[in-house]
Order: sequence, then structure tokens, then C-alpha cells
Amino acid sequence: MAIIERPTETLVPATATPAYVTPDSGLGVFRRPVQSEGWKSWLFTVDHKKLGIMYGVTAMAFFVIGGIEAMLIRAQLAGPDGTILSADKYNQMFTMHATTMVFLFVMPMAAAFANYMVPLQVGARDVAFPRINAFGFWAFLFGGIFINTSWILGGAADGGWFMYAPNSSVTFSPTNGIDFWVLGLLITGIASQTGAINLIVTALNMRAPGMSLMRMPIFTWMILVVQFLLVFAIPVITVALVLLMFQRQFDATFFSVEFGADPLLWQHLFWIFGHPEVYILVLPAFGIVSEVLPVFSKKPLFGYPFVVFSGAAIGFVGWGVWAHHMFASGLGPVSVAVFSVATMAIAVPTGVKIINWTLTMWGGKLRFTTAMLFSVGLIIQFTIGGLSGVTHSVAPSDTQQTDTYYIVAHFHYVLFGGAILGIFSGLYYWWPKVFGKLLNETLGKGNFWLMIIGMNLTFGPMHIIGLQGQPRRMYRWTEARAGEGFFNLGFWNLVSSIGTLILAIGVLLFFINVWVSHRKGTVASPLDPWDARSLEWLTSNPPKEHNFDRLPTVHALDEVFHRKYEDVGTDGHHEYKQVATTEELLAIEEANADAHIHMPSPSYWPIVLAFSLPILAYGVIYNLVLMVVGAAILVLGMYGWALEPSTAPETDFDQSPPSGGSELEVASHG
Amino acid sequence: MFTTGSKLLLGSTALAVVFAIVYGVTAQGTLGVFGLLSAAVALGLIAGINIYSGDANVSVDDTAAATVAAAARQAPTGSPWPVVGVAGIALVMIGLVTTSMVTVIGLVAILAAVIEWMLQAWSEHGSADEAYNGEIRARLANPLEMPILATIFAAIVILGFSRIMLALSKVGTVVAFSVIAAVVLFIAFLMAAKTAVASRTLGGVVAIGVIALVAGGAVAAVSGERDMHVIETTAALAERGQCGTEPSEADKKASQTVAAKSNQAATVTLDADGSLSVSVPGFSPSAQSVTLPRSNPNNVLFRNQSDHERRLVIDLGPSGDSESKTLCTALVEPGAVQLLTVMFDKPSFAVEGGHRFTVPGVDTAVLKVVVP
Amino acid sequence: MTFHERTNVQTSEPMTSVASVSSDQISRSRRPVLALGAVIGAGVVASSCAAQAPQDTWSPAGENAQMIHNLQWPIFAVAGIVGLIVFAAVGYAVWKFRDRGQPIPEQTHGKPALEIALTILPAVILAVIAVPTVSTIFALADTTDTECVVNVTGQQWWWEYDYPIADDGSICGFMPTAGNASPIITSGQMVLPVGTKVLVRGTSRDVIHSYWIPRLNGKKDMVPGRVHYLRLETDTPGIYAGQCTEFCGLSHANMRMEVIALERADFQKWLDNELKPYQAPETAAAKAGETVFIQQCARCHQINGLVDPINGELVVSAPDQFVWSGAAPNLTNLMMRNTFAGATWDLLSPQCRARVWEAAPEEFGERFLEGVTPECLNTVDLREWLRNSPAKKPMYADAEMLEVTDGKTRGMPYLALSEDQIDLLIAYLLERK
Repeated sequence: MAIIERPTETLVPATATPAYVTPDSGLGVFRRPVQSEGWKSWLFTVDHKKLGIMYGVTAMAFFVIGGIEAMLIRAQLAGPDGTILSADKYNQMFTMHATTMVFLFVMPMAAAFANYMVPLQVGARDVAFPRINAFGFWAFLFGGIFINTSWILGGAADGGWFMYAPNSSVTFSPTNGIDFWVLGLLITGIASQTGAINLIVTALNMRAPGMSLMRMPIFTWMILVVQFLLVFAIPVITVALVLLMFQRQFDATFFSVEFGADPLLWQHLFWIFGHPEVYILVLPAFGIVSEVLPVFSKKPLFGYPFVVFSGAAIGFVGWGVWAHHMFASGLGPVSVAVFSVATMAIAVPTGVKIINWTLTMWGGKLRFTTAMLFSVGLIIQFTIGGLSGVTHSVAPSDTQQTDTYYIVAHFHYVLFGGAILGIFSGLYYWWPKVFGKLLNETLGKGNFWLMIIGMNLTFGPMHIIGLQGQPRRMYRWTEARAGEGFFNLGFWNLVSSIGTLILAIGVLLFFINVWVSHRKGTVASPLDPWDARSLEWLTSNPPKEHNFDRLPTVHALDEVFHRKYEDVGTDGHHEYKQVATTEELLAIEEANADAHIHMPSPSYWPIVLAFSLPILAYGVIYNLVLMVVGAAILVLGMYGWALEPSTAPETDFDQSPPSGGSELEVASHG
Repeated sequence: MFTTGSKLLLGSTALAVVFAIVYGVTAQGTLGVFGLLSAAVALGLIAGINIYSGDANVSVDDTAAATVAAAARQAPTGSPWPVVGVAGIALVMIGLVTTSMVTVIGLVAILAAVIEWMLQAWSEHGSADEAYNGEIRARLANPLEMPILATIFAAIVILGFSRIMLALSKVGTVVAFSVIAAVVLFIAFLMAAKTAVASRTLGGVVAIGVIALVAGGAVAAVSGERDMHVIETTAALAERGQCGTEPSEADKKASQTVAAKSNQAATVTLDADGSLSVSVPGFSPSAQSVTLPRSNPNNVLFRNQSDHERRLVIDLGPSGDSESKTLCTALVEPGAVQLLTVMFDKPSFAVEGGHRFTVPGVDTAVLKVVVP
Repeated sequence: MTFHERTNVQTSEPMTSVASVSSDQISRSRRPVLALGAVIGAGVVASSCAAQAPQDTWSPAGENAQMIHNLQWPIFAVAGIVGLIVFAAVGYAVWKFRDRGQPIPEQTHGKPALEIALTILPAVILAVIAVPTVSTIFALADTTDTECVVNVTGQQWWWEYDYPIADDGSICGFMPTAGNASPIITSGQMVLPVGTKVLVRGTSRDVIHSYWIPRLNGKKDMVPGRVHYLRLETDTPGIYAGQCTEFCGLSHANMRMEVIALERADFQKWLDNELKPYQAPETAAAKAGETVFIQQCARCHQINGLVDPINGELVVSAPDQFVWSGAAPNLTNLMMRNTFAGATWDLLSPQCRARVWEAAPEEFGERFLEGVTPECLNTVDLREWLRNSPAKKPMYADAEMLEVTDGKTRGMPYLALSEDQIDLLIAYLLERK
């Protein structure tokens, strides 16, 4: 490739007046890559499906890391005066466990599902901004790696994921751990923010013809709500993180009491982000469950509009309850009373969801596949978490429970029982769609039961431990405060630690299942293994690069179901008859494929731009010269991005038809 | 292979290396060697690019373009960059004998000239289509030029304005900038009224404005800043031992500058009868002594209910090597409040006479502070 | 009873209920959940009638904790009932509507009337809960009925208490018998008279800490630069354990505290004892220990009334110059407390500890006021502490950390005391009561 690329025109005879020719691509160095196979196709991809898979794989890797951290914590606490970890390491461990699980597993896992499924569910060929989408993934990956490099660079952050000031200032945490944490979260925050805007535009602007908002699949709806939450929540945490960065790096005094600052500022900023964050974590799982339950109940989601609006209501009211994390921080009775009542209010839309899921199953035709089991498990486990949440919406009761293991039990029932069970439900449900192979159901059921037993053994006893007065975040507990008899803390701590082992085996079964399904040549999945209802099933498994041969026209919620089945009942009596199989539906689509499909070309620049961010961050911590290097890469990346032609030239592409089995000629640009 | 331009550059590279060796051996100057070697590296890099890109010389490997490219078909357009480049060299020279700032400006001018010149030459050889060539130049150059120009413009405005503001007297600043604002508004109004104003006119007006700003700024910078007035603080008062009844500058509009914390350790009230009392939740409404912890910033709110301006003073006793340390609030108007943050280094029993809040001018106003 | 024995005894019951998976798939999905619910339910019932762990949140021992308890148990009950209804409904649906070859059900999108009813129902339940919640919030924030004030100051990683003196010379509502009220300052254990409405005025010298005595009241964060109020009241004499519950750095786990509740007469004795003048050391070892203390300890630790025999001057500690928080525990009557180093270790040997901690309420005051006698001293932990305190309790006391704190330590540094010096110091400290 040359720096200068000129049009390759045929030589014009000197005698004739040369024709003015405007070339179709100008600057060679900024040509777009075209690989659709091999590692480069993943590195430079802008395909929402590839990015979704990469989000998922990365998130799963962080899930394992966070899980190992959790197991170390439980190993330390299995007996009194644990010595497996030092106090310092323990503090780093619980900080990073929460940070990893929240920011590097559940959020990106939701992004994985959203990236993969939202365009498919709304009948689009990709997200609205494919390159920004790729940038978001790489920023998340590099940010996550950046945070975790602190382990080998002097110790990880040790202030708790809530990082309360002034304990987070340099005086009280002299290592660079918190700097890594702050800058890493700023980077992943950029990733989340770009992803959020991308998905909002995709869901609002790129829906297939006929798909009104009230015909939009419920998973996409929940993702839409979550993205709006992100758009407003990420700036708040960004402000807080920037203040903390200035406090630590440039001796600012935002949280220095001796200069008249009030440390509660941090708590307000953090929880104004932190509470919506809870819904950011759990609503995608709610969306998954709301997809899975109808499919395996052979019934539409009961009260679809109620579920949609309760999701939106959670999105709004979620902003007015942040101070319930601060009932013990001395707000004064009026604030406490207001936030206490507001917190009770938010239980209502959450309760509505539980009721609707139950009523979806009511009168249905339930098939208990692994995906369904995880969803039913979620209803039960999340209900426990929700109800323990109600007990500390009552502020005086909360002052006894906050910062004890009771809270740990509560939010693990909410986040493990809610978010993670939902994620596993989604994994089993959509696995054939994404990879074209079914996961083994027997292993899957083992996976489910071990996880359910494991989580209840791990987190169930924490209710008791907490109510018996064991605070959180203690690197050791003492026999002297353990009590005796049934409520002995030693016994329940041990049970809890054993529970993590069972839980870990359960998760391990999932990975074995994946390995089995992909290594042992399990038969390819049928096109529609679950008799599903929404638009993502109107394409091949895995979907073609361009998703749909023709953009589908939507006539109803649960479009695919209504294409497959017809109501042949009369006089208010309903009887459904299958009129088409999914294979037949797909054949119709393929026969009427669009002549020209424009897909975005891959790009070098998202990964370059994202790569500059951790370099800049290392520069902030270690050396300003490194910052200059990072800034140079950043500018180069932006420059390259801006100058990149909108397409790769046709001639750069392999001329053979793209994979996916279609005979179509696909022009991969536009 | 080696184009004319690259030969020149390669020769310069070799020469720089030779000079570096000679200089290093004869003058033993590491800085000079470093500079010359840097120059060699830079020249070599440019030479490499030059060779790689064919010296922007289309005919080297594309004979067709030699006839169809815009550059081959018509004379090159005018270019300001030779002049700028030469001016830059001149400035470097002048700077070497006067002040380094001029050298820096010269170097920047040379750099700008080199880059722009290369861009222009390159784009003119791009294709046979002049419009297209202009487009690719803009595409490459604008992202570079626009931020730099905007930064320079912003810097000129900020520097010019700030120099003028710092040089003029307080009243003069207000007058000057009221006038400038009015003029800007007036011109804007004129242009709004006369929509068909030529861009040349507009450019002229802006240019005059910028020149005026630069000139004013330069004059102001030369004439220096006016005397700045530093507002005194109560800490300075305390340091000089002037926490008395006399009003000082630190006391001006004191009650308007109160940082009323939502949360105080105690509220100390001076009553009209000249008595000092304290209220702390948990005790009866007004007590005659207060217990405050040691080594802790205690926020005490002073409420003046007397008829005169008063201040609250506390003597903290000698600390370390220093003599007795005093803290005080500003003079507080009748009915107003002010906050005093006080940190006790020593317990009361270690300070002669113990710690006491007093109010200068009111002998009866004494409040005992117990520091355990 | 050792830890392992207890485990063996206890494992059987909940493990079997979880492990007994029946062949029926549907009931399996409910079984662990119900078992868990049963365990929690049983916990709720049992913990309200028997004193369990010292920090049990369900064993109120004073008016404030009782107010919270009166609110929390009905809410747990309501939550439990709602939970059981949901589990039953889900369980029934799972069993009844499983796929038995029935036709595809009606594709209904719901019944709005039912939806609205089921939305209003939880709203009503929550509204009913809200009323007593709000009234309790305000009752617990009342500071007007106070009978005794104690200042509490948190720092890494211990609590300091001081008792302010009222205008009439009384401390905590009690007049000193000798009449000479001077401030009492202590650490780790807060001594209170029973049946007295106490108001804690709390703040912090460094990071945020949280004061929590579960059997007396909920927790309250102690925030630097702010003063927060917490009501405490005890019904019966005894020791009420607590723990700092806001993560406060390295040794957060080693920041504990106790409230010692004494009968009013016993409290008067304690108060008078605290106010007595400095007791010169009696034995030769203690006299030598006093010198060691002045040389090694007194720059941070204050003992009120201690006079340096060399120059005859009052020894005034200056922890503000050596410790980041600016404070170190006042050791004037150390042996009247029975824990040390952030109430983390006992000053009493295990046998003597049980005698005090498990004393009946009527005997408690007398046993507590005996203080720590030489026979009862827990020399193991105290010696380890004096030998190398940062090794026993993680603290930022080493040189490499000093740069960011102007050379001040966070916590007690390693003092390199010889065994002899430790002997002498212990002899001296044993007389401090």
C-alpha cells in the first residue's frame, strides 16, 4: 500500500483531451480492511454478531476471574481468623470481585446479548454505528485488562467497589490500585456510553417495517430502557471518577475534610450512579426471561404493556432512591423518610414483573428445557432477593442490616439470582441461534441444579450471618463474636464457603457443556429448536452476515409465531394450527431476497483508538511522556477514523459469495 | 529509484551525520551532537518517505499521470509557503541573536511551511481532476489545520483580552469592555440588518478586530499589570495578633462569605447582655462550657445576637516551637453568623488557663472549652 | 466447644433438607427454595427468643433497638408470607401447566383488570408498611430527651470516648462524689448507666467509620467534619458488643467496640474512679515501667497526671505529631477496660473473661469494676502486641508508607522493645486502674 494512491485509469492517448476522472477511493493508507475469515476478521470486524460473541467470551473470562476472587474470599472466611489472605490482599480481593462482576461481567454480558440480539430482533442488518460498536468492545476489553494489571503493579484497588471518600485518597491508599480502578472505569464507562447511544439509535431508528414500539420484542425493550439508564448514569460516575482522579493525581481537595469538603459528596455521586446501575445489571436479565418464558409456555408474555411500562417505570423511579444506600450515613430524618418511601414505591413495578411472569406460565404448555429452568429459577431466587430488599427499604430496619452479610445475601439473590440466572437462561436459549449447535440438555440441567443449590448454600446462610451481626468487608471474623447453637456464625460461614464450591462446579459444567457441544461433533441444531416467537429466528443458525435476506415486515408482536400458526378456532374458541415451518418461512425469505445488500466494511481504527486509552491511563499514573504517546495514538486513531473511506473498494473483496449458504451476490459495502 | 528530492535529503542526512561526528570529536559537545543526530534521523525519515512516495513525482512510476494529472496540465497555483518558510528561517536567525521566543516562532513557521508545501505539492499531483485534488487536500489537511488555527485564535483572544484587563485600572476595564461589547453588538446588528454583506467585508472587520486585540494586548503586556490588591483573611489577622475590635479588611462583608456547614459541633451565641453561651444537641439549650475533641477539625458556628459587630476568638496556646496561636472569625454583624473551624493540638490541662472562647470588646463574654 | 465439633452437630439438619431431591422434577425446583425459606423462617422465630451471637440484630436490649425490632419482625413476616404465596403460585403453575400434550393455549396478552388489581395490591401492602416506618424514623432521630451525652470519635482503627461536663459539673447526669469534674477520656469500651437515655455525638478523625451496637440501636456513620447523633439506651447491666461497619481501610475487621452497661450505683463508682488523681507506681518494677512508658509510649499515649520525675513536668503526649489521625488511646485507667487495640483482644485471660462476660446482670457491675487483676491478665496477646503491634494488627506503620502522611504513622509502630522493657511496662500498666 502506498501513501499516495492515484486512480488507475487507462492511459489516455496524448493527442486526445484527457477526461477528468474522479477516483472512487483516494487515500490508500486509509483503505478499509476486507477480511471475513481468520483472526483479522475478528480484530477489525464491525459486525454486531462477531462483536457480540467477543463481548460474551471476554465477559465470561472476567466471570471466571471474579469467581476465583469470590472463592478466595469465601476460603478466607470459612473459619475464624482466616490466614489465606492478608488483610491488604483481602481488601483488594473484595474490591476487585465486585468491580469485576459488575463492570466486567454482568454489564458486558448484557452488552453481548444486546449487540447480538437487538439488531436481529428489530429486523436490522447491523447496529446504527458499527465502528463505534467495535470501539466500545475494544475499549471495554482494554479497560478491563488495564484494571486487572494493577494486580501485578503494586496491588489492586483496596477501597471497596463503592470507594468511599476519604478512604480512597492517597493518604489512606498509597498504592496505585485505586488509580487503576478510577482510570479503568473511566475507560469502560466510555465503552458503555458509546454502546448505549448506539443501541438506542438502533432500537428506535432501525426497526423493520411494521414494528411499532409496542410490537418490539420485550428483550429489546428492556435493553432500550437500560441504555437510557446508562446514558444518564455513566456521566454521573464519570464526574465522580474524575474528581477522585484529580484528588489523587493532582492533590485536589474535593473530598479533603481539612479544606472544608464534605465526604458525603462522593456517596451521593456514587449512588446516583450506583442505584440505576442495579437496574442496568438486572433489567437485561428480565428481558431474557420475558423472552424465554413465553416461548416455553407457548403463550405470549402476559401483560406485555405492563411489563414494558413497569420496566420504564423502574427506569424513572430508579433515579429517586439512591440515598437508601446511605440510611446510616447521617442524612437526617426527613431525607431518610422520603427515600425510604420511594424505595418501597419501586418495589411495585418490580413486583408487577414477578406477577406477570407467573401469569405467563399460568394456563400455558410448559416445557422444562434448561433455559426455562433458569428462568423459573430466576423468578424464585429474585423474589427472595426482592423481599429481603423490602425489609431494608424500611430505614430503621436497614440501619441494623446495612453493611452486614444480610445485605450481601440480598444483593447476591438479586444479582446472582436475577442477572446471572437470566444470563445463563439466555445462553442456553440463544446458543443454537448464535453457534448453530445445541448445548447438551442433560449437562445443562446438571448445570442448573448445581448452580441453584450452590447459590442457595452460598448466599442463603448469609441472611443468618448478617442478622447475627457479622459485618461485611472484614478480612477475618472471630470466634468471640460467633455465638452458639443453631445460629453459630462458624457453621454458617462454613456452609457458605462449601456452597461456593458447588456453585463453581455448576459453572464448570457449563464450560464442559460448551466444550462437549463444540468438540464432540454434536449435531447441528434444527433451525427453530424451541418453536420460538420473535424475529431473530427468521434467519439461519448462525445468522448470515447480513442477517436477513430481505428486511421482514412485521404485523404483530411475536411475529414468527404468527407466521407459523394460525388461529382456526371459531366463536371465541381458539385453536392453533401450524401453517408453516420455520424452514419454509426461511425459504420464502431467501426466494425474495433483496438484490443489493449494503453492509459496513471492517475497520482498523476502532481498535487503534481504543488501544490509546489504556496507554493514556498508564501515562496518568506513571509518566506524562507515556501520556503523550497515548495522545499521539489517540489523535492518529481519530484521524484515521475520520479519513477512512466509507467503503472498501469492490475490487478488494474476495469475489466468491460470502459464507452463509446463500447464492446471493452480496456487495459488502455501502 | 532515487528522485531528485530524495538525493538532496539523503545528502543532507549524510552531511548531518558527518558534522555530528566532527562536532563530537572537536567540540566534545553532547548537546550539539544530539541535535545534529536528531536532524540526521529526521532528514533520513523524510528521505525515506520521499523515496517511498516517489517524491510526489508522478512521472517516476506512473507515466500516464505525467500527462493527465492536474499539475502536468497547468502551471501550479500560487503558494504562500515559500515566503513563510523563508520568513521562518529569518526569524530563527533573528531569534538566535535576540530572544529564543522568536526562534520558536520561526521554527513553527518553517514546520508549517514544510508540511503545507508538501501537502500542496502532493495534492496537485493527485489526479487529473482539480476539484478532486482540492478535496483530498482538504480531507487530509483540515483535521490538522482547523484545531491548530482554532487554538491559535483562542490563544490570541485570551491572551489579548487578559493582558488588557490586567493592565487597565479597575474602572478602566469596565469602561473598555463595555465599549468593546457595545461595538461588537453594534457591528453584529449592522450585519444582521444588512444580510447581503460580503464575506470580504466581514473578514476585514474581523481582521481589524484581531489586529486591534493583538496590538492592545502587546501594548498592555509591555506596560505591565496594575497593582493587584490581595484581600486579607482572618487567618492573616490572627497571625498578626489583630483579632481585636478594630474592623479590618478581612471583616468586609464577612457575613456574606459564611460557609454555613450543614453540620456543626456547637453553636456559640453572643447575647445582647454580653454573655457567651453554647448550644449542643443533647444538652439544655444553652450551656456555659463545651467539650470538643482534640486533634479534630471542629466546626463552631458563631451567632452574634448583640448590638455591635463582634468576632469570636480562641487562643490555642503555644504549639510546638511557635508562640501562642490564635484563631478568630471576621467581625460579624448583629444578628449574623459565621463559622470557625478550630483544631486543638493539646488537651486543656496542658494549656495554661485552659482553652476559652472570648469576644474582644466584651469582657464578660468568656466560654470555657474543655479538650479532654 | 470447638468449632469443628459444632459443625458436625449442625451439618445434618439443613444439608439433608437440601440434598433430599425427590424424583419429581417439579417439586425439585421448589424444594431447596422452601427449605431455605424454612431455615430463614425458623431463624426468624428462634432468634427472637434466644440470645445468640453477641451482635444479634434480633435481640434488642434497649428502647431504641426495640423500636426497630417492633418494626422489623412484622415486615419480615409480611415478606415471608408474600414469598410463600409467590412460591406456591409458581410451584402450582409449574406443576399444573407442564406440557402433557395439551393444545396450544390461547394467545392472550393479559387481562388489564387483573393486572391493575395485582399492581394495586403490593402498593397497598407497602403503603401500610410506610406509615410505622416514617414514624419510627423520626422517633429514632429525636435528641431532646437526652439524659447523658458521650462524645465518640472514630479513627483508624479504634474508638475514643469522652464524657462532656455539664454546667453543674455533672458528667453523664452524675455528680462526681469528690466534686472535681475533669473530663473522662477512654477508648474501646463505652461505660453507660442502665436505663438512661444516652446521646452519642460522633465524628471521625480520618475516614468514615460506623458506630454499631446491634442490640442497642442501628448503626450510624461517623463522618469526618460532621457530627452525627445516635441514641443508645440499655435495659440490663452487661457487655454489648459492636463492630465498625463502614469499611475503613486495612484493619477494618479489627475495629471493634463494646458498651458496658452498669447499674447507676456502679456507674457512680466507675465515674469516681476515673476522676481520681494519678496513682504513683507502687512496686519497683512498676516504677521502672513508668520510666519506660515515659520514654517509649508517652509521646503518643496520655496518662493523665503523669509527671516526669526527671524534670518534674507534666507529661503531655503529642500524638498529633506522630500519628496521622492525631490521636492515640488515653491509657489513664487502662486496666478498668477489658479489651485493647480497638477492642480486638482481651485484657482478661479466657477464664476471667467468661467470669465477666457471662456474669448475671446483678453480678456484672461488681465483677467489671474489679478491673484486670495481675492473675487475670491476658499476657499472651498483650505481650505479642507490645513486642510488635503492626504484626499483630495490620496497620500502615512501616517506613515505606510514611511519605504520603508527612512521616506520621497510621496506627501503632513497631517499637523494638526488649523483653525486659515489656515486663516493666506490664507491671506499670497493671496498676493503671
